[in-house]
Amino acid sequence: MHRHACVLCITPPHLLQEIARNGSDLQRETALRTIITSEQIRGQRRAMRSVMSFLAAISAGEKQRIVYDAKQGSQLPGTLVRSEGDPAVSDPAVNEAYDGCGATYDLYSDVYDRNSIDNNGLQLKSTVHYQKGYDNAFWDGTQMVYGDGDEDLPAEQRLFNRFTISLDVIGHELTHGVTQYEANLAYWDQSGALNESLSDVFGSLVKQYQRKQTAAEADWIIGEGLFTANVNGVGIRSMKAPGTAYNDPMLGKDPQPAHMKDYVSTIEDNGGVHINSGIPNHAFYVASLEMGGYAWEKMGKIWYKTLTDKLQARSTFQDAANLTSEAAAELFGTNSLEQQAVSKGWAEVGITVNGGTPGTGDGCLTSILRALGLAQ
Amino acid sequence: MWITFERSGGIMGRKMSLALDLTNLPEDEAQSLRLLLDEMNFFALQDDLPTSPVPDGFHYAITVRTETVTHTIHTTDMSASPSLRALIQDLSTRARTQRKPI
Ligand SMILES: [Zn+2]
Repeated sequence: MHRHACVLCITPPHLLQEIARNGSDLQRETALRTIITSEQIRGQRRAMRSVMSFLAAISAGEKQRIVYDAKQGSQLPGTLVRSEGDPAVSDPAVNEAYDGCGATYDLYSDVYDRNSIDNNGLQLKSTVHYQKGYDNAFWDGTQMVYGDGDEDLPAEQRLFNRFTISLDVIGHELTHGVTQYEANLAYWDQSGALNESLSDVFGSLVKQYQRKQTAAEADWIIGEGLFTANVNGVGIRSMKAPGTAYNDPMLGKDPQPAHMKDYVSTIEDNGGVHINSGIPNHAFYVASLEMGGYAWEKMGKIWYKTLTDKLQARSTFQDAANLTSEAAAELFGTNSLEQQAVSKGWAEVGITVNGGTPGTGDGCLTSILRALGLAQ
Repeated sequence: MWITFERSGGIMGRKMSLALDLTNLPEDEAQSLRLLLDEMNFFALQDDLPTSPVPDGFHYAITVRTETVTHTIHTTDMSASPSLRALIQDLSTRARTQRKPI
């Protein structure tokens, strides 16, 4: 730690940047690492980001997608089947993963000026056909993984289609990567539910952006197309009306609350991260509807700034309410319509902006340790 | 011998479970499950979980009970050994085809 800090004292930042731009590969890499490390030691996200955007500018700045096939096994990543620029293949799951990553990259790049998951052009890696009868998709910390649903069952028993079928699911998984590189919200209890909610928010925005739908026109469903016709349901979650996405004899009823009074305390699912996410999800929906127009333009920017600048690993719902309001004021002005819409969104789910005791935010030391990857 | 299986988490966060009494299974199926459990030395297995939760990953809890011993392990797709994954695959398929809401 100390050593890197001193390197910065010896080599002035402008010179490091010069080397990073024009040096040999080895010099370049060393200089880049030094810039990153010394900025991380300062523990300041703003400084970090100026470095990251500098790095993004000198790297390719283009999307790099790569899709693998696990061939129903568990080995990751599996066999390479499509790389960036390759033409479409005959397997729809491969093309959906490829195109879905493209649509997600485009939203982040066009609207939020973000270059991929790490804002530094990270390759977007997906594996399809993971295991047999695997009704799930996940982010393993480095890549997206998709199962084929109930492909192994007779058609009349199938409840799930392949998971790449749903664009918002792809946006959801990729956003787990973004969150990991930004707020790094701990995946349990309220911080975990916020992590889940951010994935739903940006997953839904990917779909809305692609369809050019306003907040009023969008369906706000997560997992559209995931269920077969055998299921009585429209998707796995509804941000517009949490708790109403499905009600089926085989699957049960959508358990999501839309208000703090119905917050579910449980130890399952890491403290109900996929259940209580209904509360911040609905706040985002109400705020977006209140604002009108395209949700990615105003509310999306406020939530993105909150994710990248403000939230911390153990942030709570109350923190998120306060910080989105703060971000709204910074982006659009105090008492702006945008800030009022944010307050209205949270009020609707039973949270008053700046009305409660914010959760214990991380101190300075923890931020530094986390920036260095030494603490959660 | 009895096996209980619980899957939680996943992008849907929906719990799925199964309770099996091996005496009620066709003999060949019961036999292959017993072989699988022996092969992995189930009663000596310990929890095998990644250091931090995988977003949208499944979490599995498997309990095997005999007349004399009961043992439970917790694991995930990312951390389970191949033989344990084979057991999870078998139990998941049974659970999915007799889906009941909890
Ligand atoms: Zn998720």
